[in-house]
Amino acid sequence: MILDFQKCYGVDNIFNKDCVDLSPYSFIHPWPLVMMLLKFIKNLPSQSLSLVLPKDASTKAYLKRIHLDEMFEKIGCQKEHDLFSKITMSDRDNLNIQPLILCKYRDEFNAKLEYFLKMFRSFGLSEEDSQRATAVIGELGNNVFDHNLGNWPTSIVGAIIAGQNYPAYKRIEITIGDPGVGFYESLTKAFPEIKNDMEAIKKGLEGNTGRVGESRGNGLKLIQKLTINNFSGQVMIHSGDGLAIVSKKGIQLSRVHKILGTIAQFVINYN
Amino acid sequence: MTLQMIKFGSILNSRPAGREAVLRAKQILNGFTDNEVQLDFSSVEVLTPSFADEFIKGLKNEYLDKKVTFMEFEKNVVIKETLDLLNFI
Repeated sequence: MILDFQKCYGVDNIFNKDCVDLSPYSFIHPWPLVMMLLKFIKNLPSQSLSLVLPKDASTKAYLKRIHLDEMFEKIGCQKEHDLFSKITMSDRDNLNIQPLILCKYRDEFNAKLEYFLKMFRSFGLSEEDSQRATAVIGELGNNVFDHNLGNWPTSIVGAIIAGQNYPAYKRIEITIGDPGVGFYESLTKAFPEIKNDMEAIKKGLEGNTGRVGESRGNGLKLIQKLTINNFSGQVMIHSGDGLAIVSKKGIQLSRVHKILGTIAQFVINYN
Repeated sequence: MTLQMIKFGSILNSRPAGREAVLRAKQILNGFTDNEVQLDFSSVEVLTPSFADEFIKGLKNEYLDKKVTFMEFEKNVVIKETLDLLNFI
């Protein structure tokens, strides 16, 4: 069984419980990985959340290969980190697998952009598309730091980045999550009439910014333009309890379970 | 006067980097008398709207009497799309 974007929602989703049970899954997409890490960060003070690793040995090895154990350590979840201590992994190099990355600060993130450009080339994207995808990831990261600097709600700060190439489907998923203030808190400073997370995400996607007195907001416009027009892809944003899926069909908004901060994903379909 | 943008980096991203680049450009352009500042994007790989907005608007505000123009950007679709999105071209 595969844990993907769709399975993160609905009444039976694994994030509605006090235990994230990965035991039935043979593969986990970037979106649920980032969602899981944000849930652990949210529950750090109470330590009320637990993790069950997949039963399948190769899936456990995969999670170790993407450095999930190190990520748990970085966000202060030592118990979950230790679950991986006896897991061994093969040293087979697979360019389609990218390790999870935590960039605590903007400079760290900017320094990684060169790496992302090379990563997209190694995935097989053309030079032009690699540059486009790097611009998209750059703007998503900019939003994380522009809207949370000096105002992070917890002691864990920064952007968590996960990516996966699916060569058989010619599809790439890049997910960026942050345990930040989210769209609603950021945008209501400039637009107090916004009532909920869904409205806030919609406002942000329309090119508005929460930075009072500043002319901004083009980043999300470029992200939508490049992802949808050039890659026939999708942009997903979950912030607070709002979820937006943007595709050629337009923006689809729904109310879902509440998360700490924001998760954004862009899906690229390539030739 | 021409500014070679590659000297600010091959991936031009973020507003803080754009602001810092304006301050640096002021030093480079100090005392120049031309009526035009040309931004040469040769060898630049990525230009994001955040950097472009901060840098180009910052430069235009600094040199109100000068024209800011762009060169060597046509071959790079990302640079072209960013300049177009911000209505600079």
